[in-house]
Amino acid sequence: MTKILTADESHIEQMMALELECFGRDAWTEESMRFEALADHTYYFVLLDGEKVRGYAGLSKLPSTHQADVQTIAVDPKLRGQGFGRKLLERLLFEATNLGASEVFLEVRADNPVAQGLYSSLGFEHIDTRKRYYQPDDVDAWIMRKSLVGEPKSQPVVLGIESSCDETGIGIVRGNTLLANVISSSMDQHARFGGVVPEIAARAHLEALQPTLIQALHDAKLSMDDIDAIAVTNGPGLAGALMVGVGAAKALAVASGKPIYAVNHLVGHVGVDVLEGELELPTIALLVSGGHTSLLLVRDLLDDVTLLGETIDDAAGEAFDKVARLLGLGYPGGPSIDIAAKTGDPKAIRFPRGLTLPKDMEKHRYDFSFSGLKTAVARWVEVAEARGEGFSVADVAASFREAVADVLTAKAVAACNDYGVKRLLLGGGVVANARLRELATERCQANGIELRIPELKLCTDNGAMIAALGAQLVMAGRAPSSLDFGVDSTLSVETVYTR
Amino acid sequence: MSLILAIDTSFGTSVALVENGRLLAEHNVLDTMKHAELIGTAISDVLLRAGVKPQQVTAVVAGRGPAPFTGLRVGIAAATMFAAGLGAKLYGVVSLDAIALAALPGLVLSRDEPLLVTADARRKEVYWALYSGLTDQGEPIRIDGPGVLKPVELEDYLVNRNVHPLRTDTPISAASLAFLLEAQLKSGTATQDVGALYLRPADAVEPKAKIGKAVSG
Repeated sequence: MTKILTADESHIEQMMALELECFGRDAWTEESMRFEALADHTYYFVLLDGEKVRGYAGLSKLPSTHQADVQTIAVDPKLRGQGFGRKLLERLLFEATNLGASEVFLEVRADNPVAQGLYSSLGFEHIDTRKRYYQPDDVDAWIMRKSLVGEPKSQPVVLGIESSCDETGIGIVRGNTLLANVISSSMDQHARFGGVVPEIAARAHLEALQPTLIQALHDAKLSMDDIDAIAVTNGPGLAGALMVGVGAAKALAVASGKPIYAVNHLVGHVGVDVLEGELELPTIALLVSGGHTSLLLVRDLLDDVTLLGETIDDAAGEAFDKVARLLGLGYPGGPSIDIAAKTGDPKAIRFPRGLTLPKDMEKHRYDFSFSGLKTAVARWVEVAEARGEGFSVADVAASFREAVADVLTAKAVAACNDYGVKRLLLGGGVVANARLRELATERCQANGIELRIPELKLCTDNGAMIAALGAQLVMAGRAPSSLDFGVDSTLSVETVYTR
Repeated sequence: MSLILAIDTSFGTSVALVENGRLLAEHNVLDTMKHAELIGTAISDVLLRAGVKPQQVTAVVAGRGPAPFTGLRVGIAAATMFAAGLGAKLYGVVSLDAIALAALPGLVLSRDEPLLVTADARRKEVYWALYSGLTDQGEPIRIDGPGVLKPVELEDYLVNRNVHPLRTDTPISAASLAFLLEAQLKSGTATQDVGALYLRPADAVEPKAKIGKAVSG
C-alpha cells in the first residue's frame, strides 16, 4: 500500500536517485534538491511504498503572494500509468488551496502530451508558451494555470495537546494529514524510580509546553492564526498531568478565539490511524502502554466505541518495567527486556498467562492481568537465587515477554473471531515490542485478520493523535466542548469527547 | 501603554485585566479544587467584561506560588500558552509578594515588626514570607522566605528571630499580581521566569535494586 507524506531529510537520498532516473541530464543536484525540498516556502511530498520513495512532488508558495508554483512531479518509471502522478498533483493542489493560493502555475514540455493531458484533466489551462525553454533539446515550455478561486477549505487545521502521562505532545493535522508531531518526554527523569512518578511528569509538562508549541508550529510552517480548532486530552490518565494540558489548551483557545474539543486519549490511539490512510471500520483495537491495556471494538470512531476488556491490575507496560527492575535491567522495561530476551529461550520457563483458565474466561474473556505474572517471575528468581545457582536473565526475559505477547495477541485475535471483525489495530507504546508485533503478525495471518500498526511515533502517546481525533469531530460538524470541562483520570473509552 | 492579563491559581482561580494601574475586570473563584474546570471561563469572562480582545493584551503575568502543586500549574500553564499563542510578553511574580502588596499600604512596619504573609500549603503546613515595607517604586521588600513550615515550626522560627509580625492570610487577587508587575516593570526588576515555586520535592521513593546474583546469557 502506498501513502503520501510530507518529505523530510530522511527521504532526500531516495528522491535524488529517482530524480536522476526520471530527469537524466536535467536533474537537480542533491544540494538543490535538499534546499528546495526543505525550504520554508516549499511543500514537498513523497509517495511511499513501505519505506521506499516511489515518487515526489513539490509546490512553492511565498506567504506574500496568492500564486503557487508546481516545481516538480516525479514518479518511479516502473509505476507510471497507475494514477500516482495524479495523486501527487492533487495533494499539491489541496496544499495550495489550504495555503490560501488563488492560482497555481506549472511548466511542461510541449512534447509531453501525456503530462499535458493529466494537467488539463485537473483543470489546468495552457496560457502561454516559452519558446525553446528546454535546452539543449530545443523544446518549448507550456505555461499552464489553474484557478483555485471558489475551492473550499475542506480540511480543518487542528492543534492537539496530549499530557496524560509522561509525554508532552503537541501535534498539528490538516484533516487527515499530519503536519507536525512534537513530543517532549520526561522518561529519563523517571528512570531511577523504575516507573512514571505523576508529580515529576506534571512538573515536566509545565516546562515543556511552550517550547513544544513553538516547535510544532515551526514544523507545520504555521502560525496560531492558521489553526482552526484546538483539541486536548482530558482523560483517562494522570490527573495532575492532564490538568496542565487542559489549562494550557483552554488558554490557547481563548487567546486565539478558536473552538476547543476535549477528547479521549484512548480513542485518540485508534483515531491516529486516519493519518496513515483510511481507517477501516469496524475494527478491534488493542491498546497497550505503561498506563493502559485495553481491548476495544470500534464500529464508529465518533459514535460507537465499546470497551471489551482491560487490565484488572497492572498495565502491560508497567509489568515490563517491574520485571526489568527485578532482573536488574534498565528503564523503561520494554526495550531493555526486548534486548535481553534476544538470546533467551522463550520456552525455557512457562510463566502463567493471566485470566486464560476456563473459569476466568467466563468472566474475563477479554480482560488482562499481569500482576500474577510479575509475582511469578519474582518467585522464580527468588527460588533460583535461594538454590544458589546462577540463572539466565535472557531466558527469564524471553519467557516473560512471551507470556505477555501470548496473552495479549490471543485475546485480541479471539475478539476479532468472536465478533467477526477481521481487522486488528495496535496502539500504545508497548507496540514497540518486537515480539508482540511478530506474534500479532503471525496470528493475524493465520486467522485471516488484517493487522494495522501505525508508525511507532504515532503509537506512543502524542499530540498528533489528539489533533487527528479533533479534526474528525470538526469535519463531522460536532459542536465544540464548553469551556468548563474538567479532567477525568478514569474517563470511559465510550466517551469519545466531552461536550 | 500596557494591558496586563494576570492569572493566579495558587489558591483559588483568580484572573484580572489591568491597564495602566486601573483594574478593568477581575474574576475570582475561591474553590481550591477546580482550577482546570474554571480557568478558561475565568479568562474569557474578564476579556468579555472589559470589552478587550485577546490581541490587545500586551503582557501576561503568572503567579508562581508557592502553592500546592496541582492547581498552581494550571494557572502557569494557561498564562504561558495565552502569551505564546498571541506573542505577548510573559512574566512571573511570587504570589506571596502580591498578597503583601495588597496588605502593605497604610501599615507601619520595621524589620522587627514586619508583615507575615501565610498561605495554606496543605499537609498541615503553611507557605510564609516576611516583608518590611514598600520600595519607592511600590514593590514589597521581602526580608525572609518564601518557605514552607508547620505552623508551630514557623512560630518557633519567629520567636528565635525575635520578630513580632502583623499577619495576613488573605487569599490572593490577580489584580495585585498585575499591580506588582507594573511596579516591577517601572523599577526594572520584572522577571520572565514563570517557574512554579513548589518548595517541596516530588513525593517519590527510589526503589532498592532487588536482584542478588544472576548470570547473563
